[in-house]
Amino acid sequence: MSAPMTGNLSRRSVLRGTAGAAGLLSTGGLLTACGGIKESSAQSDAVLRIGYVSPTTGPAAGFGEPNAYLMKKMRAAFKGGLKIGGKKYSVEIIDRDSQSNPQNAAQVATDLINGEKIDLMLVTSTPETVNPVADACEAAKIPCLSTAVPWEAWYFGRGATPEKPFTYTYHFFIGVAEIHAAYTSLWTEGGVKTNKRVGVMWPNDPDGKAIRDGLGPQLKKSGFTIVDPGAYEDGTNDYSAQIAAFKKADAEIFNTFPLPPDFATFWKQARQQGYRPRIASIAKTGLLPSQVEALGPLGYGLSAGFWWTPKFPFTSTLTRQYGFELAEEYEKSTGRQWTQILGSNMALFEVAVHALKETSDPKDRGELAAALGKAKLTTVVGPLDWTSGPVKNVSTEPLVMAQWRKAAKGSSFPLEPVIVDKNSFRDIPLGGSLEPLD
Amino acid sequence: MNWINAIVQGVMLGGVYALFACGLSLMFGVMRTVNLSHGDLAVLGAFLVAVLAAAVGISPFFAVLLVLPVMGLVGVALQRGILSTALRTGEMSSMLATFGLAIVLQNVLLEIFSADSRSLDVGSLATAGFQLGPSVSIPYLGALTVAVAVALLGGLQLLLARTGIGRAIRATAADADTAELVGIDSRRVYAWAAAIAVATAGLAGAFFAMRSSFSPSMGPTQLLFAFEVVVIGGLGSLWGTLAGGMVLGVAQTVGAQVDPRFSIVAGHAVFLAVLAFRPQGLLGMRRSRT
Repeated sequence: MSAPMTGNLSRRSVLRGTAGAAGLLSTGGLLTACGGIKESSAQSDAVLRIGYVSPTTGPAAGFGEPNAYLMKKMRAAFKGGLKIGGKKYSVEIIDRDSQSNPQNAAQVATDLINGEKIDLMLVTSTPETVNPVADACEAAKIPCLSTAVPWEAWYFGRGATPEKPFTYTYHFFIGVAEIHAAYTSLWTEGGVKTNKRVGVMWPNDPDGKAIRDGLGPQLKKSGFTIVDPGAYEDGTNDYSAQIAAFKKADAEIFNTFPLPPDFATFWKQARQQGYRPRIASIAKTGLLPSQVEALGPLGYGLSAGFWWTPKFPFTSTLTRQYGFELAEEYEKSTGRQWTQILGSNMALFEVAVHALKETSDPKDRGELAAALGKAKLTTVVGPLDWTSGPVKNVSTEPLVMAQWRKAAKGSSFPLEPVIVDKNSFRDIPLGGSLEPLD
Repeated sequence: MNWINAIVQGVMLGGVYALFACGLSLMFGVMRTVNLSHGDLAVLGAFLVAVLAAAVGISPFFAVLLVLPVMGLVGVALQRGILSTALRTGEMSSMLATFGLAIVLQNVLLEIFSADSRSLDVGSLATAGFQLGPSVSIPYLGALTVAVAVALLGGLQLLLARTGIGRAIRATAADADTAELVGIDSRRVYAWAAAIAVATAGLAGAFFAMRSSFSPSMGPTQLLFAFEVVVIGGLGSLWGTLAGGMVLGVAQTVGAQVDPRFSIVAGHAVFLAVLAFRPQGLLGMRRSRT
């Protein structure tokens, strides 16, 4: 399943094999907000059209950061087309910006389905972008693969049940079970002693709801006391009420799924008003280096779940690169630190190609959807398997916990996530043990 | 004691809201136009302060002082370049013009600065507070924000009441055509008002950025609160704006004390209540005379 992490692998040979990918320097910045670059092929009339929707602007734009780089890389990878069932197809990727907004996401999805006549939809990052696009695809009978939404928010949030699953929409990501396992492992085995009281700030949005309904009861079962002052609205500018509740309950562990400015406000106010937990695990905002950096020294010591880091010992089936090679190339070409969404979005294309190649006619929507449902492969983020997922349309993936530390001298970036709990994934190397805040 | 703390924090939050609303209130009072790019101009101000502070290596507070005149010039450019033309064709087109500007600003900022969150680092000032008993804390930054808001709104009130330009602004606000008859250059007055309004937006953006974090997409959310403050306080009344900020801030923190999900809703409820029962706003009497 997994290749060992090796230092003696010749990076040059791998890079040479990736269609000159190192030359694909991204200019950074905005992807064209309204329209992707189309590629035409002279060699064949059969064209596979893949729609790709992700937030490039708006509040979730941080997750769209690697898009420009990834699009160039994928277009290069598909330059030679795909050979499926003895026939050659050229591949066209049409990318759209959801603007982080459900109405706009639905709009671009409809446009891709009806206007661009896509054969397959790929969509990523946050329920606001992914769910409306997946809904549009299910309704229009277009195969759709998505990631970067806790799967319960994608599955139950869109009204599926194990008796009534989806036919055309498939998903891979972590879910409540993975988050629960990673959090409990870190909070109890991580090496920091606490009173097992967890102050939680779970917002009143799809992520927050899925977590409150799913994670809350499971944490209680594992012996944690949940101090939940209640759901707050995204965009709240004051958190005194929550801070007072956490102080009163002496919550030594803190967990939240916030938007960046909300967490910055909370974390500064917590200092002002004297709430200092020993462990703080921050989802969503805590996932991206740029968002944690904004907190300055207040960001040191925060922990977060990672579904991919360059330390994961897996290779991409498309570019044959190890995770660390992908990250190095990304940093070199964009000047920005790698983020975990880079791995997810790469894997999205890996699964897409795998499923397309499994069909006899990739233009047959039913066949392609069925191929997605049977997919089983090891991608750059690790093994994915739709035949043994928690529900029919879903594959889960590993989640480990890392702590943001001040990067070593000489690093190009101020912060470095150190894997402090690998949960049950023996292939993934540990970088250190959890340090208490302060 | 938690209730007292909620009220204290609400007043601190009200300071930021009043700063945000100040320019909006002034522009509405003088030009009768709602500047929908106000929130994004505040974000622009925060970015300018961040860039200047980092480039020159000075404290954000000092950088703010240097950025304010620049924002003033942005205001003049806004008035001369966009609003003066748009105002001639009616209120609706000036609102649409500022709405368009808001979108342009957001995307230009996103293009230049990426979607990253940033914060203005003011060191321990952002995290320290004065403890009054176990559960009441007065954050230094919050207290400073309130002081700046009071000084700014008080200063503007004095400027309007006591100075020549203030009289000209009031006269133009009351009736631009008649003011022109007595020799007031309304173009100049509008430019001054826009300069002051945009400069205060920059100030508000900077204080918000110290208190929380900011990114190119943050403008519209804060514009909504600023708009509510102006309506609660009374359109065109500067002391009303200060009061409106405090009322909205306290409504949100006290609402959150009842249940965190009521925080923003409580603010909206107060806003609606004011609209329903006192549409001129808390201190909005003056407008009926003008």
